[in-house]
Amino acid sequence: MTSMTKSTAVRTDEVWKVFKHDGLAVEAVQGITMSVDPGDFVVVAGPSGCGKTTLLNMFGGLTRPTSGRVWVDERDLTALSEKELARLRLERVGFVFQAYNLLPVLTASENAEFSMLLQGIEPDERRRRIGELFKTIGIGGLEDRFPAKLSGGQQQRVAVARAVVGEPALVLADEPTANLDRAASDALLDLMVDLNRDRGTTFVFATHDPALMERAKRLVRLVDGQIETDERRAPAHQ
Amino acid sequence: MTVTWTVLPKLALRNVRRQARRSLLTGSAMAIGVAVLAFSRALGDGAHEDWIDAGVRMGSGHIAIQGPGYHASKSIDDRLGPDGVAQALGVLGQPGVAERVQAYATRFEVQGLALGATTARPVMISGVDPTVEEHFSRLGDRVVEGRYLEPGDRLHAYVGERLAERLQLRVGSRLVLNAQGADGEIAGQFVRVVGIFKTGLPEADAGVVQIPLGTAHEWLGVDGAATTVAVLVESGWVAGEMVNRVRDAVGERDDIAVMSWQEAMPELEAAIKVDDWGDYVFHIILFAIIALAIVNTVLMSVLYRTREFGVLRALGLTKGQTASVVMSEGIILTVVSGVLGMIVGVAVTWIFFRNGLDYSALMDSDFNFSGVVLDTVIVPTFRMQQVVLSLGSIFIIGVAASMYPAYRATRIDVAEAMKFEA
Repeated sequence: MTSMTKSTAVRTDEVWKVFKHDGLAVEAVQGITMSVDPGDFVVVAGPSGCGKTTLLNMFGGLTRPTSGRVWVDERDLTALSEKELARLRLERVGFVFQAYNLLPVLTASENAEFSMLLQGIEPDERRRRIGELFKTIGIGGLEDRFPAKLSGGQQQRVAVARAVVGEPALVLADEPTANLDRAASDALLDLMVDLNRDRGTTFVFATHDPALMERAKRLVRLVDGQIETDERRAPAHQ
Repeated sequence: MTVTWTVLPKLALRNVRRQARRSLLTGSAMAIGVAVLAFSRALGDGAHEDWIDAGVRMGSGHIAIQGPGYHASKSIDDRLGPDGVAQALGVLGQPGVAERVQAYATRFEVQGLALGATTARPVMISGVDPTVEEHFSRLGDRVVEGRYLEPGDRLHAYVGERLAERLQLRVGSRLVLNAQGADGEIAGQFVRVVGIFKTGLPEADAGVVQIPLGTAHEWLGVDGAATTVAVLVESGWVAGEMVNRVRDAVGERDDIAVMSWQEAMPELEAAIKVDDWGDYVFHIILFAIIALAIVNTVLMSVLYRTREFGVLRALGLTKGQTASVVMSEGIILTVVSGVLGMIVGVAVTWIFFRNGLDYSALMDSDFNFSGVVLDTVIVPTFRMQQVVLSLGSIFIIGVAASMYPAYRATRIDVAEAMKFEA
C-alpha cells in the first residue's frame, strides 16, 4: 500500500529480503510495507534476527531487496544503478553505526566533513556547519582529535555529526547506543531528540534498547521479518 | 558529479602512514629493489658504453663513411675516392655535426699477405695517420715492444704480437706485404717492424699490420683515397642521431655510404642486445618481487579494513572512488619508495663506484667478447632516460599491482562489511 499524495522520507512496498546460506533460504524481511514521514523519530525494535538491521540496510540502499520496492525521498532505490545509489546515500541518507565506524585516519572534524567534501560543498560552508554542529552537540573543541583520542560517547557524537551535517532526508541509526554506558547513551539520545526537534531531522533506529524505545514517536516491532505492531506514541522526552 | 578528488589521495596517504611499520618494511624492500635496479642499470650501461667505445675505436668508429659496397666486399675497388674523402671531411666540419664529432680518422685498409723469412700469414693491412690514430684506436697504448708509428715514418710497420711470433718478427725485422693495387695487380711492399702490440683480441694480435697512410697510398696507387673515414662522436647514445645528420648532409650522392656502428659491427650490437636481455630478465624478477610486495601490503590493508571500506561505501563513495583510494595507497607507496630507491641507488653508486667496479679478480685483462677486449674496470653510467624509464616502470608496476586489491575493495558487500570485526 502506497500513498503518492504525501511526501515521505522513506517508504516500502511489499519488501522482501531472502538470504541464501548453504542452499538454505532465510527470509529476513517478509513483505513489509511501511512509510516514514519527514521529521519523524521512528524506532524499529525486536529481538536479534528479527530483520530490523536488514530493513534499515534496505532503507539506506546498502542491501537490495529480493522483491518489493523502497523509496527514499520519493526515489525508487530498486530502479537506481550502483552509482546512483551511492550518490543518493551521499546526499540524502546519513548513517550512525553501533561501532561508531569513524575513519581512524581522519580527525573528528574531517570525519564529519567527509561527506560534504565529496558533495563538493564549499570550504567556508563546511567550516560553518561543522563549527555550529560540534558546538550544538557538545563536542566543540574536539575538532582536531583523532577517533582514538575520543571516548566512545564522543566518537558516537562525531558519528551523529557526520550523519546529519549534510542535511540528509533520512538518518538511519543501527543500535547507536549499544556500545555506550547509560550516561553516554542518555546524552546521545538527548542529542538526537534535540536534532529531530530543532532541525527536523528524520531518524529511523534499529534497536532493542528500552531507553531508546521510550524516546520513540513511533515504535515498530518486528518479529520474524514481519511487523508485529506499529504504534504512534507520545514519547517520554517530547 | 562534483567530487573533491583531493580528499581521496589524502585519505590514502594517511592510511599508508597509519600502517607505518608495514609501509616502512614494504617501502624499504621496494626502495632497495629500485636501488639495485638503478645500480645494475648504470653498471650495464657503463659496460655497454665501454664495449661500444672499445669496439668503435678498434673498428670503424661510431659512424663509418665508406664507398658503397666496401663493407661487404672489403675490396679496394669499392674505395672512397679523393673527391668522396673531401666530401666526407667537409660534412664533418659542418655546423650541427662538427660540435659533436670527437675525432675522425682516414684509413686505407686492404686484405693481404704478410711474408716473414719463412712463412706467410693473411692480414688486414691498415694505412693510418699515426697522429690521429694514436688518439682514435689507442693502439699505441698497447705496445709491448718498440714504439708506435710516428709522423715521418714511411716504410715502417706496427704488428700484432701473435703475428710477430708466427712470422718470427722482432723490432727491426723486415717483412713483405702483398695486396691488390688499384690497377688490379698484386703489389708488394717492403716494410720494417718498429713496434709490436698486444690487444688481447686474437684477430687483431694475429692479423693486423698498421703502416703509414701515405705509404699505403703510394704502394697501392690510391693517392688521396680511403676505404673508411671513421668518426667518433660524444657517446654511443647519440650516434644514431649523428648518423642521420651526416646522411642528410651527404645527401643523394651514390658514391658515399654512411653506416652506423650497429651496421658496421652487427656482432657487437647483437652481443649488447644479448647482454641487455640478461639484464631485462633480472629486472623482470626484481619488478615481480616489487609487485608482490605491493600486492601483499595493499591487499592485507584492504582485508584488514573491510569494515572501513564498507563505511566509505555507506557514506556514498562509488566503487570507482573506493578503488581509487586503494590505488592511491599502492601508488603512493610505490612512488615514494621508487624515488627514494632511485636516489639511494644513484647516491651509493656515485659514492662507492664512480671510479668503476674492478672485475680483475673475476676475469683476465685480455678477456674479450664479440670482437672487443673488455675492460676489467666498469664505470657505471647514469642516463636520465634510464632513470625516467625505471621510475616509469616502477609507477606502472605500482598501478598494476594495486589493481587486484582495489578490485577486492569494490567487491565488498557493504552490509556484510559492517559485521566485520577488525
